[in-house]
Amino acid sequence: MKHKKKAGPNYNRYGWAFIAAAFLLYLIFTIYPAVESLALAFQSLEGGKYVFVGLKNFKRMFGDAIFLQSLKNTFLYMIIQVPVMLMLALLLAVMLNSRFLKWKGMFRTSIFLPCVTSLVAYSILFKMMFSLDGIVNQFLMHLGILEQPYQFLQNSVWARAVIIIAMLWRWTGYNVIFYLSALQNIPKETFEAARVDGANAAQTLFRVTIPQLKPIVLLTAIMSTNGTLQLFDETMNITQGGPANSTLTVSHYIYNQSFVYAPNFGYASAISYMVVFLMIILAIIQFSVAGKEG
Amino acid sequence: MKRKLTAAITTAALALTLLSGCGNTSNTPQPSNEPAVQEPASGETSVKDTADSTAQTGNGETKTVTVWAWDDNFNVAVMKEAARVYSETSPEANINVDVVSLSKEDVYVKLQTALAGGGSGLPDIVLLEDYVSGKYLNTFPGAFADLTDKFDYSQFLSFKVDAVSQNGKTYALPFDTGATALYYRLDLIEQAGYTEEDMQDLTWDEFIAIGKDVTEKTGVQMIVEIANNKTTLVRAMMQSCGLWYFDKDGNISIQNNEALAASFDIIMKMKEAGILFEAESTEGRAGALNNGTVASVVNAPWFISSIRQAEDQKGLWRAARIPRISTLDASINASNVGGSSWYVLENSAVKDEAIAFLQGVWEGNTDFYDTIMRNQGAMGSYIPAYDTGVYDEEDEFFGGQKLNGLFAEVLPDVIPVNYGGYVAEANDAITTALANLFEGKTDINGALEQAESQLANQLGR
Repeated sequence: MKHKKKAGPNYNRYGWAFIAAAFLLYLIFTIYPAVESLALAFQSLEGGKYVFVGLKNFKRMFGDAIFLQSLKNTFLYMIIQVPVMLMLALLLAVMLNSRFLKWKGMFRTSIFLPCVTSLVAYSILFKMMFSLDGIVNQFLMHLGILEQPYQFLQNSVWARAVIIIAMLWRWTGYNVIFYLSALQNIPKETFEAARVDGANAAQTLFRVTIPQLKPIVLLTAIMSTNGTLQLFDETMNITQGGPANSTLTVSHYIYNQSFVYAPNFGYASAISYMVVFLMIILAIIQFSVAGKEG
Repeated sequence: MKRKLTAAITTAALALTLLSGCGNTSNTPQPSNEPAVQEPASGETSVKDTADSTAQTGNGETKTVTVWAWDDNFNVAVMKEAARVYSETSPEANINVDVVSLSKEDVYVKLQTALAGGGSGLPDIVLLEDYVSGKYLNTFPGAFADLTDKFDYSQFLSFKVDAVSQNGKTYALPFDTGATALYYRLDLIEQAGYTEEDMQDLTWDEFIAIGKDVTEKTGVQMIVEIANNKTTLVRAMMQSCGLWYFDKDGNISIQNNEALAASFDIIMKMKEAGILFEAESTEGRAGALNNGTVASVVNAPWFISSIRQAEDQKGLWRAARIPRISTLDASINASNVGGSSWYVLENSAVKDEAIAFLQGVWEGNTDFYDTIMRNQGAMGSYIPAYDTGVYDEEDEFFGGQKLNGLFAEVLPDVIPVNYGGYVAEANDAITTALANLFEGKTDINGALEQAESQLANQLGR
């Protein structure tokens, strides 16, 4: 109590002043657009003017085959990519944290490096790698697996696979960093106790390490889910949503509705809010699954 | 429970960043599902270039007319030339034309956002493709100046004027045309035992027969199209019959569109005959032509600059009228793909000056049209300009052929169609249908049916 008084009578005011600038920006660039777009979701552009249309935009979604396809694609990416990526990240993090590993700095840097590349640049690189005269085709032909170059991006299954592979490359390292820092905060005594009890590596991983990483696993799962639902740059640049909309994501469809097709910002906002809604649902599910014991 | 709630709110806050990102996702270089793949994008440079900064020294107040266009080597260069000509012929006008070079996508995204947001940050003159004309005129009525009485439109190509008109009013000054030609490698055709004569006024069936021989004897595939967007060929074939995705009244016309069915059939035959090279992108298409893996392409005049990139192929190329559809009597050996026009914004502070500038250069000045034809290969829509000497000039790259003359001959034949306001949506529906057809998931009727229902769904009909 005494200490707080020392901070002076303006302590609180200073505090507010310090956060005011950031909060103001947050208000202008995040809260205000979010509120405006909620209003927009109930409007439609007709004859150059916005008119209130009630729930029409939301109703339209359920009959919109392309929207449903994009939702399906997005969930497919999420269901396959997020678990694979998180497991891979955890594995890499545990390996990087090993006492026996030399050159840790170099490995950490090279695993994190993909995360600092630009989304557009890496997408274009993946597009080039999987193109007709790209390195993947040349490699497979050199090994004799393929006789002729294969158009990976023109086949709906392979096009999706390429998107997932690209995302794995780009985002795994990002999650490794989270796990790594969490691993270093795990008390060493727990590992020692496990060793004394005669636990093997796998038992240590599943019984000691992972349970103690749970909050971080939850955090990365939610972040990745969020990120996947907002996936845009990769499909836009690698496949343009093709072939036959098989790689189109919801965000990409929102972009098309806003800027490629006859402008329909009301419908686009409605879809955005649908994504927000889905994210909240998913987060609640994830919390309830992970939070049973805690 | 409280923790769950806090977490849910945090997630919502995170998710909200998606919404605020909704309005500025313009950092994407080349979405290929744009209304039409037209002039190569000029990249994302937004370098402002003042065409005539010396005008500042004139008497009175100098007004600035801002123009948005998208290709440094083409329409931007042409507009800068127009500004230069105008400052010479009408120095008393005392205006300063500021041509801003953006990527085509950025022009559309910025325009769309500014118009939807109430109209600040707009240019005075903007270039739009004819394919998107209907979209902007429908969605933003009153945003563009009515130019009906400002120009003598009988002097411009009628199909171009139709494309920028709505309800009897004309809203733009027609600029370039997409007069379609078949560009082909004469040397490869000759190796297969054919001559230049054999390539004139073909039907698509004859073209495929020649293509089979070429592919068999030279190992080079006959024709190139972009894999995930084959609509250039489709649109060229459709308009050669005077048909379109929409009928004259703007109703969707896909399922019962004979020309569309025929074009799907022809493209499938090309694929089955093994003469169709599916490029992965616009760059891939140009690359395939430049490195000699493909013998021909159907496209507009501006595509010539891509063909010319391969200097070692000088003299080997020829151009001809495009093939027609043999099964349809309406089909002719002429069509159009793309083309763009200049629009003046209704609420521009310098609207009158902008219109006067367009009138001063783009109407009556055939020397100007000669210059842009010669320097930029821009094929204008101003009919009196077709009589000048530039159309008799021989093109070395095309073995001395009178290339400009070919376009001038094709253009008057092009049948006007009503592009309507939803070309991008229709292109996507057709692209999806063709992809399913190519993967063998459906037949031609099924593909058309699917495209029609997708489009109807998109348009809420």
